Amino acid sequence: MEYILLVVIFVPLMVSIFLNSISKFLNERLTTFVTINGALLSFSISLFMFGALLLDKFKPISLNLFTWIPNPDISFEFLLDGLSGTMMLLVTGLGLVIQIFSTSYMSGDPRFVKYFVYFNFFVFSMLLLVMSSNFLVMFFGWELVGLSSYFLISFWSEKKEAAKAGNKAFVLNRIGDFGFLIALMMILNTFDTFTFKKIFEATLLNQPDNLDIILIFLMIGAFGKSAQLPLFSWLPDAMEGPTPASALIHAATMVTAGVFMLVRVSPLLQFSEITSILVISIGLITALVSAFAAINQDDIKKVLAYSTISQLGFMFIAIGAGAYVAAIFHLVTHAFFKALLFLGAGAVIHEMHHEQNIQKMGGLKKKMPFTAAMMGIGTLAISGIPPLAGFWSKDEILASVFSKGGIYYGFWLLSLLAAFLTAFYMGRHWLLIFHKDPTTDIENVHEAPKMMTRPLLLLGMFSIFIGFINTPFFHGLEKVLHYTLIDVEVTHLPEGITVVILALLSIGAGFTGLGVAYLIYIVDIFSYFKFEIPFTKEVKDLSYNVLYLNKIGNQIFVQVPKSLARKTAVLIDGLIIDGFVNGVSSLFYKSSKTISVTQSGLVRNYVVYFGFFLLLLISIFIATPLIIL
Amino acid sequence: MIEVTTDWYLTLAALLFSIGFIGMMVRKNALIMFMCIELMLNAVNLTFITASKHFGQIEPQISVFFVLVVAAAEVVVGLAIIVSIFKKQETASVDILRSSRG
Amino acid sequence: MLDLFLFAIPAAFVLAGALIVIFAKNPVHNAMGLVLTLASLAVVYITLNATFVAMVQMLVYAGAVMTLFLFVIMMIGVDKAEQTKEEIKGQTFLVLGTLILLGSLLTYIVINSGFKWDLWFPAVDYSIEGTPDVLAGSLFTSWIFPFEVISILLIVAATAAIALAYDTKTRRDDD
Repeated sequence: MEYILLVVIFVPLMVSIFLNSISKFLNERLTTFVTINGALLSFSISLFMFGALLLDKFKPISLNLFTWIPNPDISFEFLLDGLSGTMMLLVTGLGLVIQIFSTSYMSGDPRFVKYFVYFNFFVFSMLLLVMSSNFLVMFFGWELVGLSSYFLISFWSEKKEAAKAGNKAFVLNRIGDFGFLIALMMILNTFDTFTFKKIFEATLLNQPDNLDIILIFLMIGAFGKSAQLPLFSWLPDAMEGPTPASALIHAATMVTAGVFMLVRVSPLLQFSEITSILVISIGLITALVSAFAAINQDDIKKVLAYSTISQLGFMFIAIGAGAYVAAIFHLVTHAFFKALLFLGAGAVIHEMHHEQNIQKMGGLKKKMPFTAAMMGIGTLAISGIPPLAGFWSKDEILASVFSKGGIYYGFWLLSLLAAFLTAFYMGRHWLLIFHKDPTTDIENVHEAPKMMTRPLLLLGMFSIFIGFINTPFFHGLEKVLHYTLIDVEVTHLPEGITVVILALLSIGAGFTGLGVAYLIYIVDIFSYFKFEIPFTKEVKDLSYNVLYLNKIGNQIFVQVPKSLARKTAVLIDGLIIDGFVNGVSSLFYKSSKTISVTQSGLVRNYVVYFGFFLLLLISIFIATPLIIL
Repeated sequence: MIEVTTDWYLTLAALLFSIGFIGMMVRKNALIMFMCIELMLNAVNLTFITASKHFGQIEPQISVFFVLVVAAAEVVVGLAIIVSIFKKQETASVDILRSSRG
Repeated sequence: MLDLFLFAIPAAFVLAGALIVIFAKNPVHNAMGLVLTLASLAVVYITLNATFVAMVQMLVYAGAVMTLFLFVIMMIGVDKAEQTKEEIKGQTFLVLGTLILLGSLLTYIVINSGFKWDLWFPAVDYSIEGTPDVLAGSLFTSWIFPFEVISILLIVAATAAIALAYDTKTRRDDD
């Protein structure tokens, strides 16, 4: 029974290897057949496993494949509980839908097969990550996910930006991974094992002294992968990759790995006050900053990228407030509506012939009504309009933060502001693309092909209804995660009338945001009233450049070391080390050139040398007092 | 009455060797250098025979026998080399040959 | 007195022959000088009671080896006079240095020993005759293995000489 887990994990790998090894003989139809059926198999088995899990009331199933090192305890083991089951369904399900979309989106690309090789490899590594039962296997998945993400970001590597973006994502991820690696070493040193269960049990009995430091390093790892401040700037750049890949990797699954990991270690996290505060504050700052940045982006995908960062900030807010269920809930709903938005954006880009500037769009509502409707659902969902998915999860986060009291009231207020901003920029996004009067010629634009619209429809349905899995009336997800969070103190929603007021407030924020967007960008209220806000240009500039964080970071972490390295190269490397090496070689060269005059090649010269030194030797024998035994 | 002792023979051998060595250094003709090598070999043989007389042993004479054979073999090969070089270079002077130059 | 003459006269011839070898211009004269040296050495061997070695010396050296030398001299010609001027740079200087070192070494030894050369090991008071039967008695018992090896060496040398001197081009023309 447990071994079926392996099928789920390794089918994508097999598909990937299979496609790669015979890629020369495959055309697009054949590739589509292989990859869709592989994804379908993987998804149906995970459905089956999830059903089995459901019947067993989500009791964890673990599988110890083999013990690598008995002491300290390092083994290859996998775990299926509510948390990893949810993630497994999410990854395989979204993977299937997005692969269907991709077959149409990528058709005609000369490296069609390679795209699916990378894609399946990504699915495999993500599954490895989420199904892991110890930190080491999780780290393997973590690294492989980063690698496949790199492949997919720089998939069109002939474009310079794509190659650069891939490198940037890889390097920034490495910083986070380094934190994770340090945390791993400390964990092994402290607990003598990598297995989650043993670590959690040991921590429950008595907390080690360095728990805070371990968690802070884990947090850095999570922030790197989940694109939180200050390691966020790779995600907007990662949009250079193919749009469906962005939808799966940089919106729905990979970037949520950090959230997943922190929820996984929540039994440790509940003991570390300082890490929780850090997580919630950085999550909040990220949510606000990236929401602010999203307001003035012109690239259709970059708006979504900043929106993703902002939503991930929400998840971290939830984690920091101890509302782990709400974090996972938001992860799930966000995965659906963000995938929807990305695929919708992909359809728009595809039909607009790779035009990505939303200022040059507008009026697409009439040409692509279906896509517009689906994107509208996504926008409403992310803005938190009931009864769509985003409302339930975001409201749960906000309410949970509120219920903690004290300083968390401030956090709640700022989160509400971020929710308002979310609605505002998403409203702007949709209106500029679909509603505003056309700014360019869109005569030749048509509705996307069926292979694209069907996944959109599916995701749209989910975006509407997935929120009902965990409402205040029905705590479905909480039951799913019951065993995962059995020893964890989870923050719950406040009681009674408070929750209703809070819900009304967040709905209000959503509607206000959308309304303000409508007023500013469609009615154009400022010019209507001849009213000018001071510093408009400066604010716009600031927003467009993300508070210049990128540039500042570039100055400090790239330019300064670069000039330092250049100086080092000239001074130490060039003068001292090279000088020394060259000096030695030229010394030997010159001296051997001089000495080689004696190697004249003339026999008689050699005879003389021989005789001379023989005589010299005899002289030394004579001069030395002979020792007679 | 002057007695002819072992020292005299050894001195003769030393002189013979020195003459052979000087010849090696100053002559250019490969053939004559070869003859000088023969001179030196014979000087060594002379010391062997002298030692045989001095110590009353037969083994030094056996050594001389072997040296003779080796010298004969060496002469055969060496002269063959000289002949083949001469065919190429049209001269027996060793100063032309510098292929082992450093 | 007879001892002295028996030593001095062959010794003088030995040295004279050696000097002819290194000073004569004509290769044939050099070869004759070498013959003189080798033959006189054979006489010296006889005075040292090594009769068999003396005979072999006459046969092998003065006979076979010198014949070879003369053959080669005839083959490569004697008409080309050797360049007497030293052409190698620094060779004169080096030779002089070596000779000075040799001379000073000899002088030092001679002066240091005060013309009284005491060998470390005194001579035995009996003498042995290097007759064929004595020599063979030792050679074919305790030295049989080196003796066999040396025969292989001779064969190899003969083969090598043929291989070296064999002119493939002219041989092919003859075929």
